[in-house]
Order: sequence, then structure tokens, then C-alpha cells
Amino acid sequence: MTTMTSIATAPMTRTASSRIWNATRLQFTNAWQSIGLPWLILGIIFLANLAIWLLLYASTSGQDRADISKGLQYSGATSYIFVYMLIVAIQAINRTFPFALGLSVTRRDFYLGTSVAFVIFSVIYGGGLTLLSYVEQGTGGWGVGGRMFTAVYYGSGPVWQRLFVFVAIFLFFFFVGMASATVYVRWKSTGLVTLGGVFLAISVAFIALATWSKSWARVGEWFATSGPVGVVAWSLIPTVIAGVVGYVILLRATPKN
Amino acid sequence: MTPAVEVTNLNKRFGSVHAVNDVSFTVTENKIYGLLGRNGAGKTTLMQLLTGQDFATSGSIEVFGASPVENAAVLQRLCFIKESQRYPDNFKPRHVFATAPWFFSHWDADFAERLVDEFRLPVNRPIKKLSRGQLSAVGVIVGLASRAPLTFFDEPYLGLDAVARQIFYDRLLEDYAEHPRTVILSTHLIDEVSDLLEHVLVIDEGRIIIDEDAEELRASATTVSGLRPVVDEFVHGREVLHRAGIGGLTSVTVRGLSVSEREAAASKSLELAPVSLQQLIVRRTGSTEKEFEQSA
Repeated sequence: MTTMTSIATAPMTRTASSRIWNATRLQFTNAWQSIGLPWLILGIIFLANLAIWLLLYASTSGQDRADISKGLQYSGATSYIFVYMLIVAIQAINRTFPFALGLSVTRRDFYLGTSVAFVIFSVIYGGGLTLLSYVEQGTGGWGVGGRMFTAVYYGSGPVWQRLFVFVAIFLFFFFVGMASATVYVRWKSTGLVTLGGVFLAISVAFIALATWSKSWARVGEWFATSGPVGVVAWSLIPTVIAGVVGYVILLRATPKN
Repeated sequence: MTPAVEVTNLNKRFGSVHAVNDVSFTVTENKIYGLLGRNGAGKTTLMQLLTGQDFATSGSIEVFGASPVENAAVLQRLCFIKESQRYPDNFKPRHVFATAPWFFSHWDADFAERLVDEFRLPVNRPIKKLSRGQLSAVGVIVGLASRAPLTFFDEPYLGLDAVARQIFYDRLLEDYAEHPRTVILSTHLIDEVSDLLEHVLVIDEGRIIIDEDAEELRASATTVSGLRPVVDEFVHGREVLHRAGIGGLTSVTVRGLSVSEREAAASKSLELAPVSLQQLIVRRTGSTEKEFEQSA
């Protein structure tokens, strides 16, 4: 019996940062749905767009071609990937929260670790889109004047600006998604329906206010003068608020079945 | 020795439901505890409170000397295997066994692998496609291989066949002998685990109604059987827990007997038999055996 030591007294040496990092790694385990699948869908959307661009390119010439290419700067083809990240964030929380607690992870470590994972995801996706925007530019719109990654909303500034715009948009969708997911984890569908109602009410109030005070022109002006970088910089405020609110909500959540 | 768990006047209410009602008890380190009770008695709620997964309404819980709620130092030493544990649906069992060691520092990968073989668990099948028994095996393997100083198994065997359940009991006992730790096993298959248990906690309608050493509990009652008049005379004036009979024969369960009383019974050619833990608990909780089994 001398070799037998009680494991209860054995030392535990995990630091806070290694605990948080382990929670981060959970999001990278079999992450096909978070990392692989979105690129695949984006690729399919790209191919569909490319087919249309080819048709347009083949059936037009000269000034018409240039006009079309100019019109394509309003392409919303990439918007899917941002909204999809909202869903990725919701799924990630919803399916790993009960599991992480089952592995004796604290809510705090889980939330911080998952946030780190979402920041990494944002950088990966933002970096990818930035790269594609340069490829698109360098190839003259994939050889056919097509535009998807250099759409007007992202700007055409230097590399840090493009990267900032893309990463910040991803961060916004990840953290808003995460906050919504914490509402679901804590209050289930009742919470989500209430949250949806509140947002709808706020949006309607804003639209009513802008219409009533005839300020739509000023709203448009604000978007125009702020530019892509300015607008996206402002989005960091709701992103941070969503991050803090999500944390507070999750701290009192319990894994239910 | 510091207790592994110390619970004082613990209460948990869900609206009007009093799921845990003024519960106090202590769990000593390096013992196997049975947390027994009918469905809805409060077993899972109590374990969720002990593992910081749920929040107490009032009262205090100390696990290894501190509150488990959001306490990484305490939680790192716990493993809680729930019957209803959810796994990420993009996971396969091999992902569970790959991630678990990040959180349990005593994880034994070889042991986990041996258990996978013994339970014949398909590690590359998506979690969603596992049968109920295979899903239970995932939990059982994590619970055993994590070697957490305090391990909770909440009805861990749902859907496991008799062979798999026996493997679980055998491996638990073997590994426990080599690596002593505190185990709290909640179950309603009392007779199956009764040899495993060193201490018994019985919870009924949110209250702890039995908190006794398993040996003492077993010795606390005996069944006396024989011819009805002889038995009746012998048990006269004793606390009778249960009585059954056919024709001229009868068998009566009474509270513990002393050595001289046992000799007296033998001399009257009465037969004495130990009472199973399950019968004893059923009788002490005042429910009929049938009721108890139906809740299983």
C-alpha cells in the first residue's frame, strides 16, 4: 500500500490561461462546420456569380462591360458568410456549453476561451477575404470584371484597412451571435422570442424616429462621410456590449436538457 | 481528515417545487457512496448543486473546503457524469476522449482505450448515431479514465446491457482499489451495486432520509422465517418492517438482532436471512417494492 497515494492530494497545476486556452481548443475540435463548410459554401456562391459574370462578359463589350463592373461593386454576395457566422456562434455555444460544464470547466473559462476562439476565427476569415480582395483586384475581377470581395462596403484602402473592416464585421456577428446564444442557453426559446421582440421594437422605433424627424438624409450622409472604416469602427461598440452582456448572462446559466 | 463534501441546510426550489429540502450531510474522502432514491427524488439536482452546475437557493456547499460554484480549483478535481449529458453533435466519441485529458489532469489514456474495447464502443461513429447504451458507455469511460478525486456517476448505465454494467462495476472497483478516490454513484439498481457501496445516502422528496454506513445498514435488519406461531412469538414486541406469509409459514423482517437473539432464534429452528439493501431501503422509505421498481 506504500505506493498508493490518494489522488485527492495530488497537485493541480493548471493556470487560468491554460484553462481558458483548453476551452478555446474545444471550438477547434472537429471544426468542419465552423471552418470548412463556410468556405465551401462561399466557393459555391462564388462559382455561381462567376457563371453570371461570364455570361454578362460574353454578351457585352466596351462601355457596357465597364458599366456592369461598376454596378457589381454593390454585390452582396459575401453577406452570407457574415450572417452564417452568427449561426456558427449560436451553435458553438449551444452545443459546447453543457459539454464544457460536464468537463468541469467554469462558465468564466468557457466564455473567455470561446471568445478567444471567435477572435481567431474572425482573423482567419478576415485574412482570407482580404487576400481574395487583392486577388480579385489583381486579376481584373477574375478576368471578367466580376466583383465580390472588393464590394463598395469594404472599401479599397490599404491592406490594414481592408483587414480591419473584414475582421471587425466578423467580430460583430460572432459576438452578437454569442450573446443571442447565451440568451437561449439561459432562458431557452422564451428568451430568444423576447429578445427578438425587443430588437424589433427598437428597430421600428428608430425607423419611425428617422422618418418622423425627416432625418434619413442625415443617416445616409453619416454612412457616406464615415466611410467603410468609420462605420465598422463604430460597430466595435455594439460588439463589445454584446460580449459583456453575453458574459453576464452566461454566468448564471445552467445546462438544461 | 477534511471531508470531500460538506453540505449544510441546503435548499433548492424551482418555483413551487422544493427539489432539495434542508439537506445536510458529509462525504468522507476515498469512499464509494450510493445516492439512492426514486425518480424525481432530487438526486440529479443535488449532484448539479455539488458540481456547481446549478445554484443553491440557500444553504452552504463545501467541496474540498470551498464552494464549487465557478471555482476552477475545486471543479478541476471533479468529474460529473450525467445520464443526460449532452455532447457536441459534431463530435465522435474519439473527440470526447481527445478533449477530456485537457480538463482532467489524472486522465489515463490507456485505461480509456481498454474500456473502449471492453464496451465495444465505435469511436468513429457520430455521437448522434450512437445507441442509448453506447452513449452511456462514453460517459462511463470518461468518468473512470478521468480518475477525478471526486467522481459523480448519475445513473450512468442507462441502456447498458447486463454484461456492460458488470464491466463497469468491476472496473470501477479495481481502479478504485489502485487509485483511491471518492465516488458518488446515483442509481436505482440498488441490488446490483450494493456490494460496491460503502456508505448509503437515501433521498426522498428532497430530503436525506438515510445516511448510514452500508454494512451497518445491512446489519440493521434481518428476516426471520419459520412456522407462523413460532415466528410470531419470537418477533413479539419488536419493530416489524415487513411481513409476508403463505399458509402456515411466515417471514418477518425486523430491526437488527443481537448475537444471543440469533442463537435463540436458531434454537427454535427459525431461519434467519440478511435483508437486501434494496428491500431495506424500500421498506424504510415506506414505498412498496413494486412502486420502487416502477420508478426505475
